[in-house]
Amino acid sequence: MQGIWSGTISFSLVAIPVQLVKAVEPGRVSFRLLHGEDFSPLARRMFCPKEEAMVPPEEIVRGYEIGPEQYIPVTAEELESVSPERSRTIEIVDFIDLAEVDPIYFDHPYYLVPLKGGEKSYRLLAEVMRRTNKAGLAKFVLAEREYLVAVRSTEGALALTTLHYREEILPAGEIAPRDGTLEADVKSRMKKSIGKMMADFNPGDYGDERRERIVDLLKRKARERPPVEAPSVEEDVEEGPVDLVAALEEIMRTVKKGT
Amino acid sequence: MTGGTIWKGTIHFADTDIAVKLHAAVREDRIQFHLLHRHDLVRLRQQMICALEKKPVPAEAQIKGFEVEEGKYLIVDPEELEELSPESSRMIEVHEFVTRDGIDPLFLGHAYYLEPDLPARGYNELAAALGEMDAAGICTWAMRKRAYLGALEARGGILRLHTLRHADEVIGAGSLQLDEIPLTERELKIGIDLINQLAAPFQPEKFANEHQKKLQQLIEQKVRGEKVAILRPKRLKPTAPDKLLEALEASLKKVA
Amino acid sequence: MSRTFVEIAGKRLSLSNLEKEFYPAQGFTKASVLEYYTRMAAFILPHLKDRALTLKRYPDGVEKDFFFEKRCPPHHPDWVKTAQVPLEGGEPMTVCLVNDLETLTWVENLASLELHVPLARTGSPGIPDAMVFDLDPGDRANILDCARVALILRELLSRLRLEGHVKTSGRKGLHVYVPLNREGTTFEETKTFSRAVAMILQKHYPDLVTAKMAKDARTGKVFINWSQNDPTKTMICVYSLRAREKPIVSFPLAWEELERLAERGDPERFHVTAAEAVARAGKTGDLFREVLVKKQTLPHL
Repeated sequence: MQGIWSGTISFSLVAIPVQLVKAVEPGRVSFRLLHGEDFSPLARRMFCPKEEAMVPPEEIVRGYEIGPEQYIPVTAEELESVSPERSRTIEIVDFIDLAEVDPIYFDHPYYLVPLKGGEKSYRLLAEVMRRTNKAGLAKFVLAEREYLVAVRSTEGALALTTLHYREEILPAGEIAPRDGTLEADVKSRMKKSIGKMMADFNPGDYGDERRERIVDLLKRKARERPPVEAPSVEEDVEEGPVDLVAALEEIMRTVKKGT
Repeated sequence: MTGGTIWKGTIHFADTDIAVKLHAAVREDRIQFHLLHRHDLVRLRQQMICALEKKPVPAEAQIKGFEVEEGKYLIVDPEELEELSPESSRMIEVHEFVTRDGIDPLFLGHAYYLEPDLPARGYNELAAALGEMDAAGICTWAMRKRAYLGALEARGGILRLHTLRHADEVIGAGSLQLDEIPLTERELKIGIDLINQLAAPFQPEKFANEHQKKLQQLIEQKVRGEKVAILRPKRLKPTAPDKLLEALEASLKKVA
Repeated sequence: MSRTFVEIAGKRLSLSNLEKEFYPAQGFTKASVLEYYTRMAAFILPHLKDRALTLKRYPDGVEKDFFFEKRCPPHHPDWVKTAQVPLEGGEPMTVCLVNDLETLTWVENLASLELHVPLARTGSPGIPDAMVFDLDPGDRANILDCARVALILRELLSRLRLEGHVKTSGRKGLHVYVPLNREGTTFEETKTFSRAVAMILQKHYPDLVTAKMAKDARTGKVFINWSQNDPTKTMICVYSLRAREKPIVSFPLAWEELERLAERGDPERFHVTAAEAVARAGKTGDLFREVLVKKQTLPHL
């Protein structure tokens, strides 16, 4: 599996080489953007408006805007130097009870998978967290961002969830009901209704209706008319490297004699 | 500051209807970088490039296709997709209630606070009932032409909605194919002791985004034209499998 | 829906609709398809191993709709091996790896009659194991013309000290594979090389060969599709069934056999059916094995 990041996760004196992989991916029906004129697929590229040309990754640098059209370039090495202790290490500082974490803190889920040599200590961390029902709290840096993360055990694997910082959670006080009165009989009637509607959560019960409708639409369309064909990309018609072309020409002369 | 109302709807289940307004519950304020051309620091724009002509294609000339076979597409008009959008409705329909811990955090998406919309009778009662029962309502609603699945919860007397991911968007841990590796009772016992020693309450206020401040300093340093020291990232030496017990014992000694 | 349970290597699979006719004209059922792939597993699996499978599913047989899926169906069993491959400009995508009989059986239970794979393995997506010449006859040309081109190509390659192997596409064309199996060779190089070869053949055999994609340039000629040497492209896997009227297979041919077939001049004789494939592979072994193991370097680059 291709990782988003690789490094080590550590707790106290134990260090485990791991890779970060995604835990969610958007559903199956995905469209491609095409050029309306020739049905050629479009690719997202960085484009220089001044030179009116595509820019390859090695010519791109991050920049911070300090004024209109004025940027301070910052290199990847400089970014990594900001928190060198955290850019390759997820150091668990506390073990917490995940039930204490308000789910409002949860941001994005990933999994950690062990890299070579880390399998055993990975297994140990997962198993020990499962038995103690604890999750590890750590900070680490990915690209230019530092994340607070919770690492927990699920089905023998380590799941990592990025958490929001305290200051990012908006205070709810302002929208709280001004009237704090509570009618006891209304509440107990609701509790009764809720009790009647209690069930086990099974996410599979809720299909993505939109996706199903899109699939139906596509089936209908496929029957109505054939798909359009993207043109194959005819690349520059140069013949190839000089040496190779010369060698091929030489060979062709003898091949043709023989056939 | 919660920002403005995002959407208005009515929570519905059994004989209960409660009008609410949605507000964002989280706001991220992080340093933004742009991508520049290295040699002249011109800001780059993302463009959709035609694979054939190698030229940027403006939005009005872009169409959507579904690949049915390599290089073959069914063209779908925006209007056709529009027709598939859910009918607009103001209802947040609760289908069932579940215990809050029955929802795997992997499914949680965005969070919204719900403000009672006048006249919102029953708001306080529902918040109290859900809180006391430690329950969440699994609900669906359509907002801005999109259908959502969500969990209705209450904390501190305030109702909120968490969007939930659909089952086929979540990758099961089973697909990671992790090997079962036997552990000794001693390794487990010391591991458990160690974790219990390192246990702490969750105190989010303890964790500030220090990195953000350091980034700010880095930028200021660069604006002043100062040289930035390049520090190599710290890499820890992995604990060898046969040294695991030793490392655990040493750890325990250190914290105990 | 009728279901049959099987257990392979300790994995339990529920197979559905085995009696359904997938090739109705031939009475070739889903059970026949599963049987074919089971009997050919030892031959096809090494060629599928660690490659991102593109599924082409025909749930109601070859005469009905099919689905083309690059993504591994999300509800795959836990034991199906997957890999993440980068998508053009987007998120990585999860793909299936068919590395064992149970996964092959699962994939066939999904009615993926055709198995398409890239020239590179997921562990090294930029490094092709082979360079390919996809010989595709235009209108008014046929597989006999492809055979002529393949034989010229073989001659040309041998003088470059390169060994090539040929298989039928299972449709109208032939595929010539040049094994590389070296870490150093990139798609950029195989594309440059194959394009130069296609151009030179077009130049010397203008009535037989074209290196151009345009449909009208192909009439009466064999199009050497060098652009298949690309990380985003897939080829039909050797020994895969094709979805056409009869259960015909993409099958390797020894060069001597290709010469014989070219001499006989009957395009129909190039086709190898599923039953013939099982019998022939049992006798000759995997004629395409060298494609996986032979190490060769492209000269003059």
